[in-house]
Amino acid sequence: MDTLVAQYSRPSGEQEGYSQDEQQELLQLTPPLSLKFALPPIAQPSSWLRAMTDDYSNPNCPIKIAHGTTTLAFRFQGGIIVATDSRATAGNWIASQTVKKVIEINNCLLGTMAGGAADCQYWLAYLGMQCRLHELRHKRRISVAAASKILANLVYSYKGMGNNVRRRNPQEGPALYYIDSDGTRLSGNLFCVGSGQTFAYGVLDAQYSYDLSEEDALDLGRRSILAATHRDAYSGGYINLYHVKESGWVKHGFSDTNPIFWKTKLEKGEFSNVTSELE
Amino acid sequence: MSSPFSINGGACVAMTGKDCVAIACDLRLGLQALTISNNFPKIFSYSPSVYLGLTGLATDVSTVADLFRYKVNMYRLREERQIAPRTFANLVSSSLYERRFGPYFVSPVVAGIDDGGKPFICGFDSIGCIDFAKDFIVSGTASDQLLGLGPEDLFETISQALLNAVDRDALSGWGAHVYIIEKDKVTKRLLKGRQD
Amino acid sequence: MPGFDFSNHNRNAALHAQGVPLPKATSTGTTIVGCLYDGGVVIAADTRATSGPIVADKNCEKLHYISPQIWCAGAGTAADTEFTTALISSNLELHALSTGRAPRVVTCMTLLKQHLFRYQGHIGAYLVVAGVDPTGAHLFTVHAHGSTDKLPYVTMGSGSLAAMSVFETSWKRSLSRDDAVKLCADAIQAGIFNDLGSGSNVDVAKTTLMRNYITPNVREKKQRNYRFERGTTAVLAEKVIKREEISKYVTVHELGEEGVAGAAEKMDVDP
Repeated sequence: MDTLVAQYSRPSGEQEGYSQDEQQELLQLTPPLSLKFALPPIAQPSSWLRAMTDDYSNPNCPIKIAHGTTTLAFRFQGGIIVATDSRATAGNWIASQTVKKVIEINNCLLGTMAGGAADCQYWLAYLGMQCRLHELRHKRRISVAAASKILANLVYSYKGMGNNVRRRNPQEGPALYYIDSDGTRLSGNLFCVGSGQTFAYGVLDAQYSYDLSEEDALDLGRRSILAATHRDAYSGGYINLYHVKESGWVKHGFSDTNPIFWKTKLEKGEFSNVTSELE
Repeated sequence: MSSPFSINGGACVAMTGKDCVAIACDLRLGLQALTISNNFPKIFSYSPSVYLGLTGLATDVSTVADLFRYKVNMYRLREERQIAPRTFANLVSSSLYERRFGPYFVSPVVAGIDDGGKPFICGFDSIGCIDFAKDFIVSGTASDQLLGLGPEDLFETISQALLNAVDRDALSGWGAHVYIIEKDKVTKRLLKGRQD
Repeated sequence: MPGFDFSNHNRNAALHAQGVPLPKATSTGTTIVGCLYDGGVVIAADTRATSGPIVADKNCEKLHYISPQIWCAGAGTAADTEFTTALISSNLELHALSTGRAPRVVTCMTLLKQHLFRYQGHIGAYLVVAGVDPTGAHLFTVHAHGSTDKLPYVTMGSGSLAAMSVFETSWKRSLSRDDAVKLCADAIQAGIFNDLGSGSNVDVAKTTLMRNYITPNVREKKQRNYRFERGTTAVLAEKVIKREEISKYVTVHELGEEGVAGAAEKMDVDP
């Protein structure tokens, strides 16, 4: 593992606004990226982990990891909207309906999680620590690009180990990044992630425009998650809504989908597939 | 691949009360995570007071429901009378056991009131082993208090039992049907359940 | 048509080949015992039925009627013990009617073993056959593959080891009827308390069934009331079907004494 990490601990992102020297210095000051994890004494830890935890291919797998999510974020003229559901499932069992899938890294950086809940929580907390250290060292807030890169490099060093994380946010203009455990790091205007992503994209793509007003943007985020919770068995619970502005993020509630659903249905006449007719 | 019992999802429960029985099911039809329909009732009626709940693989649920419709119609033509709950339970049992080595992937529940006005409920495994129960069929904790419940209280109990169960199961829910069966009337209700 | 129907077998085998697990049948996960005493035989069973880790039935009946003087205790797949004993019971009744003699325990045991051997163990019934006939009191065990034993005391099922330890310490050649009943009940209780697969109550049969002979696991009455208040559940729609209206939904035409027989009956069709 150490050799693996050493290989990828070389300066990686050149165009991220730091000079070569600065980068070098940063690397020396930062504690090594490889936090030492105890690995099972097995030749292929990743395939072993998969065999133990993949409840799709093997419903009797001994370890059930909490899965299933819908999260989305999109950029618009007023900043970024971040919204998630709150359900955690282990197999078909709904383990929790009140999971906080948005992680507040600092007052203007947010991360959302899909996939392994433990991995996301751990690495985003670690990222928060790195961002704070960056601030203390450089007397200025870390850019979203740099922060996302730290995370991307980090998960890349564990490539194939089965982590699953992603995140996004602003400053120097709002910015949005998608990161996953394969090491993918994409910047973009609109992302949906998780088992309910297709349903969320359906609503989001239909109504999205960059010039949305703040209120409309919040409504769109909420409505997209609602659509996903309705059709996706592994998404549901509460809608967690955030608006990220230049000045930092603002939370717009952690609200139960149930009353929102019936309100949407009755007031707007949507979800006509749900009827109150008996035969 | 997952068990045929958890591809489409679904839940069903039956309970007895004082001179009444209740049977309830959820309304979801899914394909793994995707909810295809939220109006797929799993309770079927075979005589004024014989009800059958079927959960499991949706294709088998439909097939078995129609198979019993055929068998009960034949029974009525032969016997010129309605089928009794206990007779129907034995019909279900032997029909399923006939397929001992190629079963339908269903878990049936029968609820009804017999000719003497006595409540009757029972459950089956997929190869026809009958589980006769005094109080209720399908999971939970037994309670003697249940036995004395009248139709109104029984409705609340079975509804809350089902709704709270499906709220913790990703593959069930999206509304529910409840039948309260009394000697001379049947009340069918559509419950307002969580739609996520 | 009598016999099994294999029409779903190919479909299920194809699904199984794709990795779909077979459904789990209710299993008795049982302790069943039997022992001879002076002038008779006793069998006993616990009353727990399991489906995987779930207790499917807390008070099921594992002692099956074969003929007035022959009873059979069943372990293994619950449906198999139920239907195998029912089948043999009716065959034995027909046999008794055609020969005009009381059925013998050996005959019952032979019919059972021939039936089970034919299915090569696929019918998962493990049985203890006991009874009294004109040739005396007899006790047999029959395994799913068709092998049988004739012993003075026997145990079967997952709790058989616990139960056997009771017989090994306390069984003796001359037991009174009451002692034999008590011994069997003790053996079952050893199974109930020491084997996870067995539980609940004790059933005993001599020539009559003593249902729930011992109930060591009675549920405490709840101290508080957990009823939901009326109006707790939100209802979107309600439909009441009265007795007189029921015929609209389920077509019943009461046929008169005679003459009305010509009235065509309408069949039900699912909406």
